[in-house]
Amino acid sequence: MPVDPFPLVSALTIALLLLPFAGFLAIARANGRLAGGLAVGLTGTGLLLSVLLAANLPTDVVSLRADWATISGVSFGVSFRLDVLTALMLILVHFVALLVQIYSIAYLHEEAESAPRQLSRYFAYLQLFVGAMLGIVLAGNLLVLYAFWELVGLASYLLIGFYTERPAAGKAAKKAFLMNRVGDIGFLLGIFLMYYYFDTFDLSVLTGTGAVGNAPTVLGLCLFMGCVGKSAQFPLLTWLPDAMEGPTPVSALLHAATMVAAGIFLLARIHPLLSPDALVVITVVGTITTLWGGYSAVFQTDIKKVLAFSTVSQLGLMVAGMGTGHVEGALFHLLTHAFFKAGLFLSAGSVIHAVHTQDMRQMGGLRHTLPTTFVAYTLCAAALAGLPFFSGFLSKEAILGGAFAWADRQPGSLSGVIPVLLLVSSGLTAFYMARQWRLVFFGAYRKDAVSLAQVHEPSWLMRGPVVVLAALSVFIWFSVNPFNAHESWFFAFFPIPEEPPIGWLAPVSVGLVGLGGWWGFRLREPDYSRSYVRLSLDYGFLDTIYQFLIIDPTLKFAAHLNRTDQRLVDGAVNNAGISVVVLAHLANGLDRYVIDGFVNGAAWLAGQLGSLTRSVQNGKVQSYITAAVVGLLVMLWWLL
Amino acid sequence: MILSLLIFLPLVGSLLVALLPENQTMRFRWIALIITLIEGALAGLACMAFDRSIGGYQLLEQANWITLPLGNLGIASIDYLVGIDGMSLPLVVLSAVVMLVGVVSSWTITHRQKAYYSLYLLLTGTIMGCFLALDFFLFFLFFEFMLLPMYFLIGLWGGPRREYASIKFFLYTLLGSLLILLVMIGLYLSVMDPVSTAVAAGFIADPSAATDEVIRVIQGHLQSGQINPTLIVHTFDMRYLADGGNYLPSAFLNPASEPIVLGLPARMLAFWAVFIGFAIKLPIVPLHTWLPDAHVEAPTPVSVVLAGVLLKIGGYGFLRIVWNFFPDGAAEYAQTLAVLGTISIVYGGLVALAQNDLKKMIAYSSVSHMGFVLLGMASLTAEGINGAVYQMVSHGVLSAMLFLLTGVIYDRTHDRRIDSYRGLMQPMPYYATLTAVAFFGSLGLPGFSGFVGELFTLMGSFQSEWLPGWLTAVAATGILLAAAYFLWTLQRMFFGPFWFRHEATALTPVPVLSDLTAREKLMLIPLGALALALGLFPNLIFTLTSTTVGQWMVKFAVE
Repeated sequence: MPVDPFPLVSALTIALLLLPFAGFLAIARANGRLAGGLAVGLTGTGLLLSVLLAANLPTDVVSLRADWATISGVSFGVSFRLDVLTALMLILVHFVALLVQIYSIAYLHEEAESAPRQLSRYFAYLQLFVGAMLGIVLAGNLLVLYAFWELVGLASYLLIGFYTERPAAGKAAKKAFLMNRVGDIGFLLGIFLMYYYFDTFDLSVLTGTGAVGNAPTVLGLCLFMGCVGKSAQFPLLTWLPDAMEGPTPVSALLHAATMVAAGIFLLARIHPLLSPDALVVITVVGTITTLWGGYSAVFQTDIKKVLAFSTVSQLGLMVAGMGTGHVEGALFHLLTHAFFKAGLFLSAGSVIHAVHTQDMRQMGGLRHTLPTTFVAYTLCAAALAGLPFFSGFLSKEAILGGAFAWADRQPGSLSGVIPVLLLVSSGLTAFYMARQWRLVFFGAYRKDAVSLAQVHEPSWLMRGPVVVLAALSVFIWFSVNPFNAHESWFFAFFPIPEEPPIGWLAPVSVGLVGLGGWWGFRLREPDYSRSYVRLSLDYGFLDTIYQFLIIDPTLKFAAHLNRTDQRLVDGAVNNAGISVVVLAHLANGLDRYVIDGFVNGAAWLAGQLGSLTRSVQNGKVQSYITAAVVGLLVMLWWLL
Repeated sequence: MILSLLIFLPLVGSLLVALLPENQTMRFRWIALIITLIEGALAGLACMAFDRSIGGYQLLEQANWITLPLGNLGIASIDYLVGIDGMSLPLVVLSAVVMLVGVVSSWTITHRQKAYYSLYLLLTGTIMGCFLALDFFLFFLFFEFMLLPMYFLIGLWGGPRREYASIKFFLYTLLGSLLILLVMIGLYLSVMDPVSTAVAAGFIADPSAATDEVIRVIQGHLQSGQINPTLIVHTFDMRYLADGGNYLPSAFLNPASEPIVLGLPARMLAFWAVFIGFAIKLPIVPLHTWLPDAHVEAPTPVSVVLAGVLLKIGGYGFLRIVWNFFPDGAAEYAQTLAVLGTISIVYGGLVALAQNDLKKMIAYSSVSHMGFVLLGMASLTAEGINGAVYQMVSHGVLSAMLFLLTGVIYDRTHDRRIDSYRGLMQPMPYYATLTAVAFFGSLGLPGFSGFVGELFTLMGSFQSEWLPGWLTAVAATGILLAAAYFLWTLQRMFFGPFWFRHEATALTPVPVLSDLTAREKLMLIPLGALALALGLFPNLIFTLTSTTVGQWMVKFAVE
């Protein structure tokens, strides 16, 4: 093995990876009260190590490799890779995970009192998730990435199904895992295709492989299917709203900030591999997703589902950004989105914690009783909507600008539709966020079971992380210039080609956001049975379509096959068995009456003959002599 | 010596148990436990003695058994010949582990213990014999003899329909054996033993003088018809059966001359006959219907052995006999075989989805998982074949675990219906955790062994030049189906508020759903840990198999 040029970095990387898995094992056995502290300590250590790693990051890409499976001379290795993108993601994952775990200690304090075992289970799962997510981020080849990708799916399954006594939790967990598996099958085939074309799974060889042609398009789209599942893109998006069955901090960490962003990360990794045709498909899928998710968010009544669909919509935007070639912009949005969306979910958690409902129709007027939460929520929502002076504005502008530039480069005129649709979807975002803001924090309080006097802010353990995330939604952390992201530190690390800024874009999008926000705030709640409302509430009836077109037919077919198996396949076997038995009986009958008949007949004949001959042997000497003479004569005649 | 001990120690143990007086009830299980423990140690020793860099057979033990001059038919010779290579060793180790776990699981067997353990040890010995024999006749002997203990173990200790299930199992397998027997005789008549023939024909003084050179000369003489037919020594030795040079020029299974029987090429008929013989054992759809019945009726330890080891004899037979002696057939029908494997994967998965009996669900999932074995082998790639052996080991461990888990719940309530339970997470958290481990391991979660087996068999089939790419795509839906039936079961049985179906009458008390006992943990946790270890370090298996498979691939490289 060659000498490791970066011993510190390698050691840190390995430590980072092992830490959460060790934590998973330790916390699963730990006392419930201890679990939270242990988890926070471990993730905090991880964050420190990540920062240390980022500070010592060599300019070259660092890769670690170990043999995993050797098959007849061909080695399939486990490899890890460290570059700027990895360092960024490491810090992001640890940071959000740390805040979420601090928040969770207070959020789950009821569990701590009634069932401490549940609490250690919860924090153990979170550590498992952190470990798996780090694996994705650090993966140096697609096989390793896939392995951790699936492991993240497991963590997601366990966390969505955390409240095991709720039947819906089990159902949602299963749904999430299965829908992800659909995408993962494509991903796996893509990995095989990659091995077929490049004889390797290694990500480092991908850099700069300008692949074009027919087959690589298939390859790119297969790999993209993994992203479709994990990042809840159309048509595999319906698991994400159901995933809200999990505890709210989990939604913040997995289903908003980090796990669902893994698909975007994957696209960034494989981007050099994607052919122009594949990129067009990716752009279209992203655009459909952003609109689909946006419209589905509009009339939701569950506070978390609005946020879930806004996540779908924002992920669609990032995918479209990837498709239009603006990798850096999409990654930038991933970063800003992680903070403000996690902040929104945690604020929503505080609200739910306070009023014990997720139905926004029962909330209202909470801005006075939950002032900290209100301010934090407002900041994060503003960032999500893309208001100027907030982080979301910067990153959205980057993607939109990239999309318009892309449309100019495309040959067809139809491609101009894409950036316009993306622009519309950002207006939509402002619309539903304003509606949610109003429903939760303005108007009159509408819940009877819990009086407004009982509603109070949670402990600082919960408010703290929310405040931090809200603060990070402001532009200043990302770029000194609130209107132009090009000067951001982010793009110092992820250089983008200098493109002439589109002057009219910022005013137009701000105008659209303002319009959407104003409309959403003024909107009167419509009748929920109206068809356009139902379309939004049931997210385009996708689940119904799946039920009728895929799930029911599959189950019916399975039941049918089962009957066939028993009646036809096994029936044939049984019938063969029965016919052999029948044949045996026939043979038995034949034996008894025909063959035995012959035998018996022969015996009877012999008996008759015997009695005939017996009559000859009558003891009379004359008869014997007569017989002897006749015999002698016959013999003589025959011999002569 | 190790290998013979592996075979004969349990056979002697079986005899010992049979001879002990009936009242020694407690001793029988301890004898069985000690013997299977020693078997485990012996398998470990075999692993250590095994040289991973050699592809051929190792630790050979040979003794002449029968030699009979048959005039114009040449000389008949049957040897006691045992040995291991990279394909059999992993399965020998697997068998040792599963048989050991099976004994621990047999602790719940309370009646007719003497007969039970005697048969169980007999089964252990014959299974080992199957994996170790390198003489086709000897293999067949063990293969057949295995049926006897299995028949009685299902038929005497099984569930309500045990007679039906055991006779079905017996007849099905016997039909397969018949086909194998026919081909075995055909091969026997077609092949000479070059070493013994050289001795008989006076080329060399004794077998030790046989060099590769001598063998080539003898083979040349055979092909040009210069050897007196009365001096040709016929053999069941698998080493010679696999070498095309040993086939008599006029023989009807000669690969070179392609004789026709009944209007069809003789080798094709023989290939399919012996394939079906082993396909019943694996099993491959549509020859699988004995499996669900046998599993449902068999007592838990017998189910464990059946799924954990017996099915693997089918896959082992494919490699050792079908692929080995008929590489031309394996290459020619690669597509058909892969399609059969894929059908098994998808069909098994779909039917598993429709089951309400936990044991039946797992039985059909076995059908599905064994489909991957056939698919990997049909690919004729190093990845596919290594992956297939790996998949057999992995499935052996995981299916043993699954059936043990089913046994746990059955022991408590005598009810295996999935819809009889809800929210089991609450009364039995440990059980729920281990079930989740086994389920996720089986549905191919990375980190567990199931993933590696499926990954490499699928990768092999995708890379294979014999198979179209869409086939892999169809087969890959098997892992989606596996996730569907396992997670659906998990959801139905373990989530939600706790409830289970029971008829509380004055006579029958409500069963207590207590969590795992120490004995149950002792079986389940090591199996789970083994699945994890194999999944994290697949080279544990691949270092054993890979050299053998690599050497073996040469057969197909020329085709």
